[in-house]
Amino acid sequence: MSGRWSRVGFYLLLAAVLFVALFPFWWMLDTSLKQPIDIFGGATLYPHHPTWDNYSRLFNTYHFAAYLENSIIIVIFSVTVSLVLGTLAAFSLTRFNLRFGLNNSALVVALVVRMIPGILLVIPLYIMLAQWGLLNTRLGLILIYTGLNTSFVIWMMQSFLAEIPRDIEEAAMVDGDSRLTALWRVVLPLAAPGLAATAIFTVIATYNDFLIALSLTSTTDAQTVPVGVSTLIGKIQIEYGPMAAAGVIGALPILIFALLVQRHFVRGLTLGAVK
Amino acid sequence: MTQVSAPTKRARARRGRIPGGPYLLLLPAAVAMAGVSIYPLFYGVRASITHYLYGREFGRNGLTNYRNVFHDQFFWEAMRTTAEYVICAVTIETLLGLGLALLVSREFRFGGPIRVGLILPMTIAPVVVGVMWRLLYDSGIGVTDTIWGWFGAAPPNVLAHNTSAFIAVVVVDVWEWTPLIFLILLAGLQSLPQEPLEAARVDGAGRVRLFFDHTLPMLTPVLLVAITLRTIDAIGTFDQIYVLTQGGPGTSTRLISIYAYNTAFLDSQYGQAAAMLLSLLAMVTILMVAAVRMLRKSAA
Repeated sequence: MSGRWSRVGFYLLLAAVLFVALFPFWWMLDTSLKQPIDIFGGATLYPHHPTWDNYSRLFNTYHFAAYLENSIIIVIFSVTVSLVLGTLAAFSLTRFNLRFGLNNSALVVALVVRMIPGILLVIPLYIMLAQWGLLNTRLGLILIYTGLNTSFVIWMMQSFLAEIPRDIEEAAMVDGDSRLTALWRVVLPLAAPGLAATAIFTVIATYNDFLIALSLTSTTDAQTVPVGVSTLIGKIQIEYGPMAAAGVIGALPILIFALLVQRHFVRGLTLGAVK
Repeated sequence: MTQVSAPTKRARARRGRIPGGPYLLLLPAAVAMAGVSIYPLFYGVRASITHYLYGREFGRNGLTNYRNVFHDQFFWEAMRTTAEYVICAVTIETLLGLGLALLVSREFRFGGPIRVGLILPMTIAPVVVGVMWRLLYDSGIGVTDTIWGWFGAAPPNVLAHNTSAFIAVVVVDVWEWTPLIFLILLAGLQSLPQEPLEAARVDGAGRVRLFFDHTLPMLTPVLLVAITLRTIDAIGTFDQIYVLTQGGPGTSTRLISIYAYNTAFLDSQYGQAAAMLLSLLAMVTILMVAAVRMLRKSAA
C-alpha cells in the first residue's frame, strides 16, 4: 500500500521536474511557429495558426544557412584534429616512460589549461589573430578550438588508454605490427567507447561556445550559430518570432546528435564533467 | 600511473620503437595547447602591464593598470555581484542536484530517457538558453505575465527591475546547470560501495540516518569536485547574461566577465581588462586553495 503510493508520488515528482526542465524548450518551439499577432496575443500553449514564416525569414533575411555552415565546418575540423593530436599524446603518456616526469606533469598542465577561464584568453587571442590576419576567419576559430579541445582530449583519453592492457598491443606487435599500427588496429577499437564519449563532449563544447566566436568574428564569413542567434537580440525592436526560430535551429543539431548517440550521451557528458 | 617497474618498461619501449621517439607523438598536442592557452596567458600578463590608448600599445606602464583596477569602484561592484550570483546559484544547484540524484539513482522504468530529459538543459548552447528565457520573461509575449495574472498582480516585466532581474538570471543558471551537478552526483552515487549501506540497513538505520551517516560522507569527495567545477564555471558566466540583460538594468547583473568584456572590446582598454581578469584569477586561486585546505582539515 505505502509502496504503491510512494511510487505514485515518485513519478509525480519526476513529472514535475521534467516539466520544469523541458517546458522552456516547448515554449521556444511554440513561439517559433506562431504568427506575430499570436505571439503578442497572450500565452497559448500551442500555435493556433502555425506558420513556417519565422523560419523562412531566418534563412532568407538573417543568413542562418551561413552560420550553420560555419559552425559545422569549424566543429568537424577542430574536433577531428584535436582527437588525433590528443589521442597520440595520451598514447605516448600512457605507454612510454618519459623523461623529466613528463608522464604526470603533462597531465597536470592539461588540466590547468582546461581551467583557465575563456574570458581571460580572449583578449590575447584577439590580439594574436589580428597580427596573423586571422580575425574573422574559419581557420582562426578552427586553430583556437583545436588547441582548447586538445588539453581535454589528452586528459580523457589517457584515462581510457591506461585501462587497456599493453599485452594486447604487444601481441599484435609480435605479429608484425609497429607500435602505431597496433594503436590503430588493436587499441583504438578497444577504446572506442571512450573515444566516443570524448568526441561527444568536445562537439558540444565547441558548437556551443559563444564568447570566443563573438570576440574573434564580425561577419557571416566566420560567425557561428550562437553568434548568429545573439545578433537577433539587442536590436531596438526584438523580433521574437525569428529569435525563437533561431533558438530552435541553434539547439537542433545538439538535440539530434543527442538522439543519435543516446547510448553514449549521458556517459560522455558524465565523464567529460568528472575527468 | 602504471605499476610496471622501470627496467621492463624500458625494454618494452625499446621493442616498439617509433622513429624520433614518443616525444614526437607529444609534440603536436603540446604546440597546439601552448599556442592557444599558455602563450596567450603570458601575453595577457604582458598586456596587463601595457598602456593602451585607443586600442594601440603605448609602452609599459608597470602596475598602473592594476592600481587603476583596485581603485575602480565598478570593478568591486562587479566582483560583489559575481560573488552573490555564484553563491546563490551554486548553493541552490547543489541542493537540487543532490536531491535529484538521490531520487533517480536506482533503476526504474523509463529511467534512461528520463535521465536524458533531465540533462537536456545543460547540453544546448547558453546563448540559446538565454533566448528561451527571454521568451519566457519578456513582458507581452512570455508566461510570467500570465502566471502573475493568476494572482491578480500587474505584469512584472522581470528583466527591467534590479532585484527581479538578478533573481531571474540566477534562476536561469539554476535551470541550466543543476543537471551538471546532478549528473556528477549520480555517477558518484552509482559507484558507491553497497556493503556499508547494506550493513547499516541490517542494523536498523532509518533512511535519514543512512543518508547523513553513510551516503553523504562517502559522497563528499565527488560533491566537492562538482561544487568546485561549477563554481569555476559560474564565475566566468557570460553568455546568458549577454543575451538576457547585458548586465543591466543599471549594473544589477553586471558580472565581472561582462564588465571585463566591455572594458576590453567597447572601451579598447585591453591592459586594464587583462589586469582585472588576472587579479580575479589570483583571488579565485587563493580562495580555492584555502577552501580545499579548510575542507581537508575539517575532514581529518
